[in-house]
Formats: sequence, structure tokens, C-alpha cells
Amino acid sequence: MSTAPATTPGATSATGTPVFSVDGLWKVFGPKAHRVPADPELAGLTSAELRARTGCTAAVQDVSFDVRKGEVFVVMGLSGSGKSTLVRCLTRLIEPTAGTIAIDGEDVRAMDKTRLRELRRHRAAMVFQHFGLLPHRTVLDNVAYGLEIQGVGRAERRERAAAVVAKVGLEGMEHRRPGQLSGGQRQRVGLARALAVDPEVLLFDEPFSALDPLIRRDMQEEVVRLHREEGRTMVFITHDLSEALKLGDRIALMRDGRVVQLGTPEEIVGSPADDYVREFVRDVPREQVMTVRTAMRAASADEAGSGPALAPDATVSEAIEAVARTGAPARVMEGSRCLGVVDHERLLGVVAGTNQRKEVA
Amino acid sequence: MATVTAAAPRATLPGILKQPVVRKLLLLALAAAILVPLANARWASGSWPAALTVDFSDQLTKASVWIIDNRDSHPLFLYFFGHISNAVVISVRAVYLVLLAAGWAGVTAAASLVAWRVAGWRLAAGTGIALLACGFLGMWIPTMQTLALMVVAVLASVVVGALLGLAAGLSGRMDRILRPVLDTMQVLPAYAYLLPVVLVFGMGVPAAVLATVVYAAPPMARLTALGLRGADKEVLEAVESLGATARQRLLTARIPLAAKELLLGLNQTIMMALSMAVIASVIGAGGLGDRVYQALATVDVGAALAAGIPIVLLAVVLDRVTGAAGEGLGDEPQPNGRARWVYALVAAVTVAVAGRLLGRLDWPEAWTLNIAEPVNRAVGWMTDHLYSGVPVIGGTADWAAHFTTWVLDPVRDTLQWLPWWSVLLIVAALAWLIGTWRTALTAVLAMAAIGVLGVWTPALDTLSQVLAAVAVTLFLGFATGIAAARSDRVERLLRPVLDVFQTMPQFVYLIPVVALFGVGRAPAVAAAVVYALPAVVRITTQGLRQVDPAALESARSLGATPAQQLRQVQLPLARPALLLAVNQGVVLVLAVVIIGGLVGGGALGYDVVFGLAQGDLATGLVAGVAIVCLGLMLDRVTQPTERRAKKGA
Repeated sequence: MSTAPATTPGATSATGTPVFSVDGLWKVFGPKAHRVPADPELAGLTSAELRARTGCTAAVQDVSFDVRKGEVFVVMGLSGSGKSTLVRCLTRLIEPTAGTIAIDGEDVRAMDKTRLRELRRHRAAMVFQHFGLLPHRTVLDNVAYGLEIQGVGRAERRERAAAVVAKVGLEGMEHRRPGQLSGGQRQRVGLARALAVDPEVLLFDEPFSALDPLIRRDMQEEVVRLHREEGRTMVFITHDLSEALKLGDRIALMRDGRVVQLGTPEEIVGSPADDYVREFVRDVPREQVMTVRTAMRAASADEAGSGPALAPDATVSEAIEAVARTGAPARVMEGSRCLGVVDHERLLGVVAGTNQRKEVA
Repeated sequence: MATVTAAAPRATLPGILKQPVVRKLLLLALAAAILVPLANARWASGSWPAALTVDFSDQLTKASVWIIDNRDSHPLFLYFFGHISNAVVISVRAVYLVLLAAGWAGVTAAASLVAWRVAGWRLAAGTGIALLACGFLGMWIPTMQTLALMVVAVLASVVVGALLGLAAGLSGRMDRILRPVLDTMQVLPAYAYLLPVVLVFGMGVPAAVLATVVYAAPPMARLTALGLRGADKEVLEAVESLGATARQRLLTARIPLAAKELLLGLNQTIMMALSMAVIASVIGAGGLGDRVYQALATVDVGAALAAGIPIVLLAVVLDRVTGAAGEGLGDEPQPNGRARWVYALVAAVTVAVAGRLLGRLDWPEAWTLNIAEPVNRAVGWMTDHLYSGVPVIGGTADWAAHFTTWVLDPVRDTLQWLPWWSVLLIVAALAWLIGTWRTALTAVLAMAAIGVLGVWTPALDTLSQVLAAVAVTLFLGFATGIAAARSDRVERLLRPVLDVFQTMPQFVYLIPVVALFGVGRAPAVAAAVVYALPAVVRITTQGLRQVDPAALESARSLGATPAQQLRQVQLPLARPALLLAVNQGVVLVLAVVIIGGLVGGGALGYDVVFGLAQGDLATGLVAGVAIVCLGLMLDRVTQPTERRAKKGA
């Protein structure tokens, strides 16, 4: 969460139309899929009931959210929760059954073929779980592929691709084939290919699930770095909660095709919307997600004047370190104003998970 | 099957009925109990009842006479077949003239240099030596004739096959229509294709080329479709997510991703084309096949061998070079690869021009080696000393005679003695037990069609040869396959042998068996066994080796003996592979048994040859259709529920 301060201002200061605006989105697979969203009775059923009644599978059910400019929006859920279908609906790689999708206010579902191709070529690029690289092309030509599709000349696209290859840390490997690269390197190529077309939004479909844990951490940091440097809007699909918490400015948690909670990592961990979410986040180290802003209490007069100072979005674990070192309650300072204090009792309460709910609620 | 019969007595009655095998048999028995008395009452006869045959020969003769009469005048021939025929003749002629103009040195240099660029210097040396050997054997001209025909036929097959494959790869409906057709075409013996093209085009090069194209295009189509359909879904999705048009997707992703299958298709097409180009000598293809054909007709083994060796050399070289092209696909592109192609081209042209200037276009007469006479002397010696009367073991001719008397004759007589409806019943039962009711129905209909065509008796004769050959093939093949699966050393020793044997055209196998066993049905069976054996061995070995190692390990950890492991784990788990081996064995055996008609195998194969030789197309065509039906029946009877990969190669 150390990067959160760097990204939040970009996300919060953004106003105007969201990058993606999704409203009442449905994707139903199966015979006569269209009747399901239209019929309120069928629409109310759970996935299992629906399958028994109609033989249809509802991968995405009545999902709505906005992706704000410059934020990392994470869609998180277990396998089969419909998250991969959802992200494919955004650029109509899978045709949605019902609902609206708008990119910068423009209706995606109303786009004709040419316009849709324009969208895919210039505005939203995707990174895939198994990379989706072309095995017969070199790294450089893979990265330049998106530009080639757009009809960019050979010299120019190679030049631009080489710059992106350098940006993702693959200098010197331009002329290798994907088969000669490690998994992490391949995904860097996938990332570079998406970046090369300079899209407005990057879509990630479980990009690091196929990688080793150590490589995965490297890649996550790479994404954090890129986001900090470029401030590009990202939609990130993952089934890994810690990845979601690490990268996401906001997280939409999906279950059975529906969004069960949408909020900041702190809101998800601090005030789970239902038992499913609570069970989900039970083992999360709360002290690393929760900030002192939520953990603090009002300061008494003498406390406000002394003790270690912390920023409001410092994590509880940072506060524990400060409190343990000085032995006194820590002050939460915004500029020169003291917002409150956190002491042993409050901090332990966060770690134990005993006081958070009433405090946040 | 063994487990089923063993378990049946212990099970109670409902238990028995639960076994699908028993249920199928009971249903079939029920159907038979109703239908057989009816059929027997009306058409009681051991052989196919005459009342149920339809004589097509009049119509066929009329049709063939009409075609011959109208070939030069009817618009269909003038404006369609005539153009095809002319185009084929002109292009074969053109390629042949180019090959002759390049001279033997030019052709050898060009072929070697292409092999060098595609497959490395080892195969380049092999290619050069093989071509020179063709010259030394005095077969340069026939080799070039065969090559010219092959070049045209392969080009046409690749174009036709790739287009069909493209259609099937891109459209699901086309795939559903084409797949069964291509599947069936691939199991039919090459001979079946000869007569229809002769009917339309007459004997000669156009007919030979077209028969070759019809025979060789299906693997290209199948593999193209397979490659296009098998492309990594996520790669295609990634390409689409970048906004590629349909055309861009095809050209930059789908076709390159299918490159391996396309090259494999090219390889198989070339091998099938060579095989057919040689067989097509019976309809006037000329070249090497014709030399073999003429030599076999006079039982001149030496001359047949002199033409057969170049065929084998061509087959091996073509297979290795195209195979290496496919394997080298994913490698790092070599630096200055294009420049080396230019060097190769320049070198080839230089050699060709030098040959021309030196006046050495034709293969020098003095350099030929006549192997026909020494070979014939050797065969003569064999005939005198090994054919019969060798103490204790007898002689090869004795073996052939014994095999004919004790195996082929009884099997044939039994089949012909069986009432016709019982043959149909056996076919139905076998096909249903191994496959589905659909395959059973097709098999029965195909068998019945043979009866209707009025060739029941010769078809059963062919069938008896097939059965005998299949039994021998499976016995030897399974034994060798098991040995190879259990011992790495045996497999290492076998592999190069199998590689060579699997690339040789069917026709070539007739030469050694005629040398050993003379003519008759036994040599035809022997050739079929030798031809089908490599595929059966290979599929068996692969199937046994691909058995889940975890299952085998757990059996070993429980203390199973090697024999128990084989019987209780490996063979049951490899059942699909073994069934595929049976299927392939049957298909391959049939192909050669039919060709065996050339060396005294008689039956349907002979009818085709006779029809061609006498211009009696009606007889030949009826036999050809019967061969198709027989092939269809044998394939369906042995077709496992799910068809696995084709061809053992």
C-alpha cells in the first residue's frame, strides 16, 4: 500500500465522465439468452436455479460500475465468478446480452464494426493470462504487432516498439522468440504489446496467475511503477486477494456473476458487505490494509501536542512500529492539524478485528 | 472383451443386461431371429442370392462407350475436361523438359542445394547420392518422368487441399460436411480411384495426374483444417483485441500458427502422391512405376528392382527433407539466410549451365550399372535352392503353398460357404461391439452393396486374404510392439527400419515378395503384411508407452510382475491405441491385397487390372466400387467409438 498515496490523488481529483461506465450489464450463455435479463422473474434467480430452469448460464448478472480516469480498478473473484467474461464484454470480445457500456460517454454496444475496431486499436488494449503471443514472431515484432495492425510503417513501428520494450525492461531480447523467454519475460512482452499502441485504458485479464510467486511480485511492482509514471487507467482482473489489495484503488468483488461489494481495499477489508466477503478477507493482514484514519480516536488536549506524527493514510502496521518505538500514542497529522491519535488499544483492536466494524460503521 | 466374458457368468441376470455388450448382442439376436427366417425362406442360398443382385455392367458399358464416342465432340469434354486434360499434359511436359534441360548435374545440384537450405548438409549429401544412384541404375529418364508428374500433381494437390482445408478451417459447416468425406477417402485403397478417372479421361498422363491429386489432396485438406482450427484460442483473442480485421487475423496469425500442420500436410501429400504416381502406371503414368509394372508382368525381378530402388530412394529423400523443414520451423532464423538461398541458386544454375556447355545433359551411358542380370541370377539361384526342398525348414515356395492350402483356402471356403445373411450378421455384430450403431449400419450396407453389385464371391476371396494378412500382421505387430515398448534398445533398433518402411510406396513391396514366393495369393498377403506391419508396431509401441506412468508405478509399488503389469495395466489402458492399430492394419492391408491382383492375388484387384487391360471398364468399375464398399466396411467394423489421430506416421 506504500504506493497508494501516489495514486489516490490522481483518482480522486478526476472529475467529468468516467472512462468506462457499465450499467446493468448481462452476459448469458445458452439458448434464447436474451429472454433472461428481460424477464424479471428469471433475472432474479441464482445461477444454479437459472441453469436448472432454462439451461442458460449467466456469467455476468446485472453488473454496474464506473471506472474513473487514472485509477486502477480491480475486478476480483474466484474462478467461474464471471470476471473474465466481464472484462471481455468491455471491448465486446464477448458480445454482452443486455445493459449498457460507455467509454468516455460513447455507447460501445452501438458501435459498428469499424468504430469497434478503432476502439480496440487505440483506446483499450488487453493483457492476457497466457500472454497470447505470436510464437513465430520476435519480441520486437510481437510488440509492434498492434501498430502493424493499425497500418503504421515498418520503421516507425519498430522504433516505437523498441522504446516500449526498453520501458518494460527487455532490452537486448528484441530478437528472441517467445518460446525462448521465461514466463515473466513473456508477460512483459504482452504488457509491452498493449502499451505500444498507447491506449487510454489497459485491461488485464489475470495477467500474473500463470507466473511463479516471486516473478509475480516483480510484475506487480512493474505495474505499480508504470501506473505511477504514466497514470494510465487500468482495469485489472484477478483471483488473488493480496494482488487486488496491492494494486487496486477500488475493488469490485464478484461472486456468481454479481458484484457483491465495490469499494476501496480498506472498505472491503474493514467493512465487508456480507458473510461471503467477510470469509474472503478473514486472513488478510488488516494492519497492512487499514489506515490510521479509520483506526484513530479523538485526541485529548495533551495528546494532541506530543508523540510521533503519522499521515492519515499511513497503515496501521506503520503506526504499530511508531507506537512500539516511542511507547506513546501516535498523532495522526494532516498538515499541522491533529486529526486524532492511535494508541496501543486502538491498534491492537484493528489487528484483532474487534473494534473495526463499529468504528467504520 | 476378455474381461467382459470372464465377468458375465458371475453376474446375475439383471447384471448381465446392464452390460452394453450383452444388450447390443441381444438386440441383434432379436433382429436376426425375425429377419433371418424371412430372408432364408425367400432367398435360400449360401452365396448372395441372384435375385438380389443388380447388373450394372450394361449401363456401365453403355456409359463408357458413350464417353469414348463423345470425348472429342461433346461440349462437356471440349470445354471442361478437355481443358483440364490439356493443361495437365502441357504442364507435365513443361516440367519434364525443364528437368531434362537442367541435365542430370543441374537437377542433382539443385535438389541437393534445396535440401541443404531446408534440412542441412547431411540430407543434402543424401539427396545428391540418391539422385546419382538413380542415374547409376540407368533410371535417370524414368526418374525424371516420375518427378515431372509428381511436381504437377503435388502442386495441384496442395492448392486443392489447402483451399478445401481453408474452407473447413474457417467455416464450421464446411468442416462438418468435408470431414467425413475426407476421413473416408483416406481409408480407401488407391486402386479405387483409378477407374473413374480412366472412364472420363482415358488412359494416360492426365488420368494419372488426376487420380494422384484425388488421392493426395485429402491429407493436405485435413491438416490445413486441423492447423487452422487448432490455433491457440488466446492468441486469436489477443489478435482480435488489438483490432485486427478478419483478413489480418488470417494472414498474420492463423496461417502462421498453422505452419507446422501445413508442412506436415505437404509432407504427407508428397508421400501419397509418390505412392499413387507409381501405382498410376497401370493407367499410363509412365516413369519408374511403369518399369516396375512391366517387369512384374514378366516376373523379371531384376528389372523391377532396378526401378524399385529409385522409388525407395525418392521416397526417403522427399520424406526426410520435407519432414526436416517442418521440424526446423520454430528455430532461430539463421543470419543471412536469404543470402545463402541466393548462393544456392547461383551454384545450381552454374552447375546446370556447365553441364550444358560440356554437352553432358543426358546421363552418360558408360556410368550405368546393370543390376538386373546379377539380381536375376541371384533370384534364379534362390528359385533353384531356396524355393523348395530345403532340409527341415522347407522352402519359400513351400511355405507359400502351405499358407495357401492351410490358411487362405480354408478361410476363403468358410467365408463363401457361410450363408450370406450370416456374413452380414457377423459384420453387424463386430461393428456394433467396437463402434456405434451408425458404424454398424454403414458396414452392413456397404457389405450388402457388394452383394447387390454381384461380386460377392470375389469380394469374399479378397476378404479372406485381408483377414489372413491382418491376423498375421496383428500377431507380429503386437508382439514386436510390446517388445519395443518394454525395451529401449529394441525400440532404438526398430525405429530407423520402421521409418524407412513407412515411407515406401505400396507398389514397391511387391518386388521382394515375388522374388521370394513367386506369384499367387500368398505373396500378395506377404506384401500386405510387410506394408501394414510398421504402422501397427508403431501405434502399439506408442500406445503402450503413453500409458500413465503413475498407474504403472502404483502397480509396480504393489508388487506386480512385469507380466501382470502388461496384462492388467498397460494393455487395458492402451486399448484405444490397440484398436487404432487394428483399424490402421486393416486399412493398409486391404490397400496392398488389392494391388496384389497384379502378382496373382486374383479376386477384386485382378478384376480392376483386367478391366483396365482389356478396356472392359464395366468389370473394372464394378470391382472398384466393391473395393470402396469393402474398404468402408472394414474401416467401420474396426472403427473405435472415437476416431483418434490418423496414420501411424
